[in-house]
Amino acid sequence: MATKAKEEQVQVGPHPDLRASREQIDRLELTEKDLLEILYHLKFCRYFDERMETLYRQGKLPGAIYSGRGQEGTHVGVAFALLQEDSLFPTHRDLSAQLVKGLNLNRVMAQYWGRIDGYTRGRDGNSHIGDWFGAKTFTVISHLPIAYPVACGAALAYKRRHEAKVAMAICGDGATSNGRWHESLNMSAVFKLPVVWVVNNNLWAYSTPNQIEFPVGSIADRAGAYSMPGIRVDAQDVLDVYEAAHEAVERARSGGGPSLIECVSLRWRGHAGHDPAKYVPKEMLDEYMTFKDPEKRFLALMLALGEIDESGVRAMDERIKTEFDEGYEYAQRSPLPAPEDVTRGLWTDDGYWEGSPTREGDGG
Amino acid sequence: MVERQVAAKPEDSPTAGEKAPTEEAGAAGHGAEPRGKRTESGEATYLIAIAEALWEEMERDDRVFLLGEDIGVYGGAFKVTEGFIERFGPERVMDTPIAEETIVGTAVGAAMEGMRPVAEFQYADFMTSGFDELVTVTGKYHYRSGVPLPVVFRGPSGGGVRASNFHSNNPEPFFAHTPGLKVICPAFPTDAKGLLKAAIRDDNPVVYLEHKWIYRRIREQVPTDPDFLTPIGKADVKRDGDDVTLVAYGAMVLKALDAAQELEEAGISVEVVDLRTVWPLDTEAILASVAKTSRAAVLYESHKAFGIGAEVSAIIAEDGFDLLDAPIVRLAPPNVPVPFSPTLEDAYIPQVENIVDAITRLAKW
Repeated sequence: MATKAKEEQVQVGPHPDLRASREQIDRLELTEKDLLEILYHLKFCRYFDERMETLYRQGKLPGAIYSGRGQEGTHVGVAFALLQEDSLFPTHRDLSAQLVKGLNLNRVMAQYWGRIDGYTRGRDGNSHIGDWFGAKTFTVISHLPIAYPVACGAALAYKRRHEAKVAMAICGDGATSNGRWHESLNMSAVFKLPVVWVVNNNLWAYSTPNQIEFPVGSIADRAGAYSMPGIRVDAQDVLDVYEAAHEAVERARSGGGPSLIECVSLRWRGHAGHDPAKYVPKEMLDEYMTFKDPEKRFLALMLALGEIDESGVRAMDERIKTEFDEGYEYAQRSPLPAPEDVTRGLWTDDGYWEGSPTREGDGG
Repeated sequence: MVERQVAAKPEDSPTAGEKAPTEEAGAAGHGAEPRGKRTESGEATYLIAIAEALWEEMERDDRVFLLGEDIGVYGGAFKVTEGFIERFGPERVMDTPIAEETIVGTAVGAAMEGMRPVAEFQYADFMTSGFDELVTVTGKYHYRSGVPLPVVFRGPSGGGVRASNFHSNNPEPFFAHTPGLKVICPAFPTDAKGLLKAAIRDDNPVVYLEHKWIYRRIREQVPTDPDFLTPIGKADVKRDGDDVTLVAYGAMVLKALDAAQELEEAGISVEVVDLRTVWPLDTEAILASVAKTSRAAVLYESHKAFGIGAEVSAIIAEDGFDLLDAPIVRLAPPNVPVPFSPTLEDAYIPQVENIVDAITRLAKW
């Protein structure tokens, strides 16, 4: 397997230091099952993203898509550090973080096609998903970092009730320019709340690069202004992201208060499906796609460490394709919401959200 | 209608700290319940009634807690929560940084986790500083997710106290226009107490606007039953009449009643409908009164164009056109900011004489 890893070296950048990686895995007490699960999520995220983009370009997918490609190390790495009872306040770009947290793929697909079995029953679309009573995730809202203040509230509830739970919120680099980002870090530090602040720094906020968003060299440096630990992680390595997140989550869980994690990667695609992202220099994109691919890098490591072999990879790829296809079919079969329900479910007392949704239409 | 007693002081300064008659006699400010601040005859001001509602609900339910600016040790800018921190402690009477968006978001996040927060805005004007979390998160969340948000946002609204542009506004139209928020604007101590208790027990988000001009202006006998609740979304006829329906809410109800008294002496019988809740609107009560009088006027303190009365007028025109003998009249401030100088502010807010004139013309139409 070591020979294989050397072959991969050209594609994945610096040769993974196998001994250091094994030590890291042991230190983090990650089991074989954990490692394969991380690999599965990285691969699923990539596959889902590519297939959905194809469907979008074919005109078969309504609404919008927000690609997370190239940033899988961030999304999977941070979410893997949470327990089921911890809450996650995600964004439109990190659906894979919600999938790690336990979303049902069929319902995710139904959401994209505006169907009644989607998490919002057709009231919202694309990755504006949440599953508070199941996977414990906040239903995504566009105005980042709009969920940061809400994460403060969930964390406050855990602290007041003496529950060993943690809230984690994610936003992008552009959202750190917004007042709420600073308000929330400040509030969490003042009250020492069990919260982990994650910034997915993918170098561009839509078309605006880091240097126009903020004057500091590193977003993580801003943690000092709020007396909390801040760490900048290269998100091409999912284990490094996981390690930073795990440490922050456990610090919060044990009463040590909030932390800030800046995960650096590149957004390989545009802000949304319509954006060709010509503002990203081609050489830079090539460099990231060739040498800083979080999925390929982790796959090479797993092969080199013997955690999986080629046939195992093929089986995993097949499983992912099957799950996607089944999810797609499920979404097409799921009925559209009944038009007469348009005003229901605004208030809690009409029972709309208590029962099963009204099913009407033939599912298109 | 309840008896009311108008305080002698013409203006109610937020910092004047005007004390209720028995405040010194009681142990106010030392963890004593607000009921101890009632008069010897047992009457409560609007402010004391609000404090009683908060206190009783905090005693009843551990999940209820308060957060806001200067509400703890200081007891709030208007002293609504004076004595609360001594009784309930800093965790349930939480002084926060000056960060309105995050105060709203924190309340919402705690509500998602099953707590029942009551967030205080020092002035309702500052709700615009928390607007996105109120409108974009709070109002839309249940419709999109089915997750209840039992949270109340309180704030002193309204003018007439010479507090000028940034401490006198009536933001209720913003929130009534936003789906998913209930909006309450009480005029009397009893309604203020019963509606706030109902709001805290409601599983939906509520914007509760208490009019600062009324805080210490009127007193009445207010129920002491800890389960006394006033239904949200129900108007109340505060004065029966036959000739003209006058719909109002908040401080304008008091002006309407004074005008109705004068008009009665001139032989015009005015029915005063107090909305109490501006959203959801009690259209049934409005139309029932118009059916009786055939003439309708709407008196409101939010700006005239696109204000609450614009919606009330539209409902009457749309669903009660056949009931009307005359065009609907709207009495409201012009669409300019709330000015400071007494001559300007009095010209801005509808006064009793303006109401009397307008209703007289309407009755003769």
